[in-house]
Amino acid sequence: MTDAAALLSAVEAFLYREARLLDAGAFEDWRGLFAEDGLYWIPSEPGQNDPTTTVSILREDKEMLAMRVRRLGHPRAYVLEPRPRTVHAVSNVEIVELADADGLCRVASALTVHEYRAGDRAVRAARCEHRLRPAGDTFHIVLKRVDLIDCDAVHDTVISIPL
Amino acid sequence: MSAIPEDELRSLVRRGRVHRRVYADPGIFALEMERIFARSWLYVAHESQLRKPGAFLRSRLGTEEVIVARGSDGAVHVLANRCAHRGARLCVVERGTAERFACPYHAWSFRLDGTLEAVPHPSSYGKSLDIDDAANHLARAPRVASYRGFLFASLVPDGPPLDEHLGPLCAAIDNLIDRAPDGEVEIAGGGFRVAYRGNWKFHQENANDTIHPGIVHESSVEAGRQAALRDDAPDGNQTKLQLQSNGFTRREWDSLGLVGFDSGHAFMGGFYADGVLSPGADDPVSTAYRQCLVAAHGETRAAEILAVDTFNNLIFPNVSLNAQYQQIRVVHPIAPDRSVVHAQCFRLKGAPEPMFERAVHFLSTLNSPASMIFADDVEIFDRCSAGLADAHGGDWVNVARGIDSDAVRAEGGRASSGASELPMRAQFTAWLAYMTAGSMTAGSNP
Repeated sequence: MTDAAALLSAVEAFLYREARLLDAGAFEDWRGLFAEDGLYWIPSEPGQNDPTTTVSILREDKEMLAMRVRRLGHPRAYVLEPRPRTVHAVSNVEIVELADADGLCRVASALTVHEYRAGDRAVRAARCEHRLRPAGDTFHIVLKRVDLIDCDAVHDTVISIPL
Repeated sequence: MSAIPEDELRSLVRRGRVHRRVYADPGIFALEMERIFARSWLYVAHESQLRKPGAFLRSRLGTEEVIVARGSDGAVHVLANRCAHRGARLCVVERGTAERFACPYHAWSFRLDGTLEAVPHPSSYGKSLDIDDAANHLARAPRVASYRGFLFASLVPDGPPLDEHLGPLCAAIDNLIDRAPDGEVEIAGGGFRVAYRGNWKFHQENANDTIHPGIVHESSVEAGRQAALRDDAPDGNQTKLQLQSNGFTRREWDSLGLVGFDSGHAFMGGFYADGVLSPGADDPVSTAYRQCLVAAHGETRAAEILAVDTFNNLIFPNVSLNAQYQQIRVVHPIAPDRSVVHAQCFRLKGAPEPMFERAVHFLSTLNSPASMIFADDVEIFDRCSAGLADAHGGDWVNVARGIDSDAVRAEGGRASSGASELPMRAQFTAWLAYMTAGSMTAGSNP
């Protein structure tokens, strides 16, 4: 196995694990995949480059994600009653850059999230970019960017479980 | 359409209660579109979005889709987004600049004021087509008016002028503009459109319902409270503070003031007594901003401007304006049980850019589809809609909280403590007046 193939395999395993933690509702473990300087971003416009003067569907660092995760565990978060069930399907995983200027591995993937809650079904599709910092035999997420194909549309369902 | 007799309409709004039909009955909804949304002034755009001739955007007048365009003469036109020939949707991009609107079907092309400019192969139409006949032009809202850059349209040719309609709520728009050191605001930063399964009135009723936040938003209040304030927060702790802000004690909510008018307008007072939105906030962003405002207006006037603490300024039927958040929300009725909330924010011209970044952040935290706050409101609207669809669970919806303590206010309207449902009752006073005003001449109705 070449080094590149081994790296791709390790990255895929990491992304699948991330998806599984979200589907299992292990949100604090999921948050633990982020680096201390990690950022989770869902832009509101296609190709959005501007994080501060254009609104974001979600843009949170690891500490802010702690608030989100805490809320996900609250017994009276009404939009989570009953708890949504999800399948995060990750595919089309490619390593775009082995190491960028900051030494981060840039990964592109496609994401489909199926969600079911209380009789309602939703499907979301997105392109994802992960910037991963190698850490021993695993990675830390420095950036997870989720570009929903309908990020600027009328949103028919709220996004309560992270994508 | 208007087959619901006046007596029947009046029977739906009683002292302190309304019949569930006002939310759930498709016939009532259709009549609301005819008698409220086709007659009242409706906000369609801000002039900053239409600076030059040819600039246009898509907007809505209730259930109707319109194009708002600045004509070559500089006037703003509100046009049905529908070809006058075969009815095809004319414009499918959200905004842009155009010299004309050409239909993709048979290429009828319309000027920015909606008049028909040309058709290809005119001889094939022969005498059947009079290019100057208004029937062949895009339907146009007969009245369009601006209050200090805020563009409203009405589908009827007659009625009170815009500033009379806005009445005491002119002050809310004035205060937003006053907060800009240069005396001008612009819509920027994008926005969100979030649909909910529920009647349009739910959103407006919820805005100044001060008992619900501590209950509906308990999960996000606690998440905010448990987070530590930190020096390095990329958002200056704004998310934490915003989540926490719904966690007033009932006594604190009581201390707020609510004001409602028979015109259906309403607001809350005194929401932010401390924190970054308070007049005395001394964080770096607020301090730099206040210095700009003082430089523009002097110490006294700047203090007066920042002391205006009205919040969730509701302009009947479907606008909510917050000067502190630099934010406007419009709720569009789509069906009796479907509405879309469109939220956008303003840049205060002449203010340091971090003030705008703060407004962008407020909007993201509060109105995004991933909001930890609004998601729970949407859930409650869904549940109200589901419950009220049942015909046998009782006919009446209670809006009586605080009804015995509503007081006539010297400056106009009625006032109550923060724990009252006064704003809902004010909205239903206006609702009934519109709904029973009889049939008026419809204008060129898109």
